[in-house]
Amino acid sequence: MKNKKIHTPDGVNDILQQECAVKRNIEQKIAAVYKSYGYFEVQAPSFEFIDVFSGSDAQDLIKFIDPKGRVLALRPDITTAIARITATKLSHTPFPKRIFYIGNAFSDHHAYQGVLQNEFTQAGIELLGTTSLAADAEVIASTIEALLDAGLKDFQIELGHAEFFKGLMAQTGLSESIIEDLRDLVDRKSFVGIAEVANAHKIDPQLKETILNLPNQFGGIEVISAQKGIGERAQKALDEIVEVYEILKDYGFEKYISIDLGMVQKINYYTGIIVKGFSSGMGFPICGGGRYDNLIGEFGDNIPSTGIAIGVDRLMAAIGEQDYKATADTIVCYENSQRNLALKLCSGLRKNGVITQLWVDDNQKAADYAKEYEIGGIVFVKDEDAIEIHNMQDGTIAKTSVAELLGGYEE
Amino acid sequence: MKYLTIALAKGRLAELSIEIFEKIGLDCSEMKEKSRKLIFTDEVNKINFMLVKAGDVPVYVEYGAADIGIVGKDTLLEEGRNLYEVLDLGFGKCKMAVAAKKDLPPSALSNRNLIRVASKYPNIARDFFQTAKGQNIEIIKLNGSVELAPLVGLSEVIVDIVESGKTLKENGLEVIEDICELSARLVVNRVSMKLERDRIMDIVNKVRTIITQS
Repeated sequence: MKNKKIHTPDGVNDILQQECAVKRNIEQKIAAVYKSYGYFEVQAPSFEFIDVFSGSDAQDLIKFIDPKGRVLALRPDITTAIARITATKLSHTPFPKRIFYIGNAFSDHHAYQGVLQNEFTQAGIELLGTTSLAADAEVIASTIEALLDAGLKDFQIELGHAEFFKGLMAQTGLSESIIEDLRDLVDRKSFVGIAEVANAHKIDPQLKETILNLPNQFGGIEVISAQKGIGERAQKALDEIVEVYEILKDYGFEKYISIDLGMVQKINYYTGIIVKGFSSGMGFPICGGGRYDNLIGEFGDNIPSTGIAIGVDRLMAAIGEQDYKATADTIVCYENSQRNLALKLCSGLRKNGVITQLWVDDNQKAADYAKEYEIGGIVFVKDEDAIEIHNMQDGTIAKTSVAELLGGYEE
Repeated sequence: MKYLTIALAKGRLAELSIEIFEKIGLDCSEMKEKSRKLIFTDEVNKINFMLVKAGDVPVYVEYGAADIGIVGKDTLLEEGRNLYEVLDLGFGKCKMAVAAKKDLPPSALSNRNLIRVASKYPNIARDFFQTAKGQNIEIIKLNGSVELAPLVGLSEVIVDIVESGKTLKENGLEVIEDICELSARLVVNRVSMKLERDRIMDIVNKVRTIITQS
């Protein structure tokens, strides 16, 4: 045994009953909100040919080889698979289309030293086939509602725009590799690094001022009006942010919204409004997404789309302790001669929504077990007319019959 | 009001950081007392200070266990954490460099397919040799007195922090190539920056004013 590796590999976890119950409960609440907005679920494969994920950093993909020698990869996100499905199987159907998904995605964070999850659950939506800003606002609004319904109170959804940074950069005339450096520096809000790069090149003074200030341009909607001399492309990005903000105001969600013009997503497929969500007590974003108007085109017909995914594990951590117990309501114990009756009673209780465990061990042990797991009561079946209900909370014992017990539920 | 937490790299950086924090009106008196406490509090400004090992500062900040951290650029490069790196504090200035024995003939490196590099900073060394120069290397991770390695034939070169160059000189070593300049940086957790914007940016702006004056 000593040489056998039986612990879980780095970055994957067992989720035990209690935690799993809480997680499923959150997932169901999220799914219910998505459905209420008219999104319907699809399931995509957990792995695909690596070519599908060419937009992701190959280093972070968990890869393996099929018997024919072809390289496969576990999906690093679910949006890419939805894009493939939309282009190859749904492009002839009417748009706009609303899809939601809940599933696990995988990423190898080994290169990156943090003890991050290599397997994580994403719940997300995609609104496919429209460039309308009302669509961007809707995915944000339904995400906010899903977070609220899941029990999250204190959070902020931040808006940015992929075209803002790209528009500014296009005006500078800097080379692709310098722009990549700048993207990384802006992402890290490195005032010093940005200044070093910007000062080393000849850039229009007003534009340079805007770039130097980029790390500072986050907060309320007022940061939008502070931008000057930014050119048409970046201005259009700002106008779109304002429009989406106005729509979200009509949803009544503006108090959850903030702006970060220095938001540059590492995933390269975003083309428009980009979104990240934060909650206090959680050092990482709890949701993210945005508009991707060109991604689906990589798999066939181009279909402009927008979507957001919630990191369910992070959301769970942000919500914190929940009063949701993975435990039965009652245990049914029986004498061997009364098995048939006991099973009938169990079935009757279950049909009435009582979580019922049939006791399959020595009857003497049932009481201790019930105490340990905080199970409300134990029913002892002696015969049809003699049933004892032991209330584990107050220690009282009530005598009744099967008909009476089940009859009580019918009223 | 929620407490903001600031993680400081133990040692000289912490002392210099405390000087700056006092100048901007934070109360660091508790930290100056000799004690075994790990968390020090400024009750007026609702700030907790933590003294941790340099390499742990980026970890605390990335996970949000600390909102702000002060740590050397060397540690940030080595740890590669996902943080906002907001300010160059300008103190703790030195450089990361490649050094070798003075009498090492250039051919000893150019003729080798595989150079052995001893360092406390394996990631920085790997990034410099493999990514930037395309050179094959074997990294020998050491935890201290890296200068010894070339002297006893453990490695051809070392990658280490060079301040005055005195230690190198006394051991017959010299810098053969600079990798980058280093200094202390103020880093901020990505989520804290958003949720505690006003308080954090207030500290950042005040610190910036102090360091540009000096």
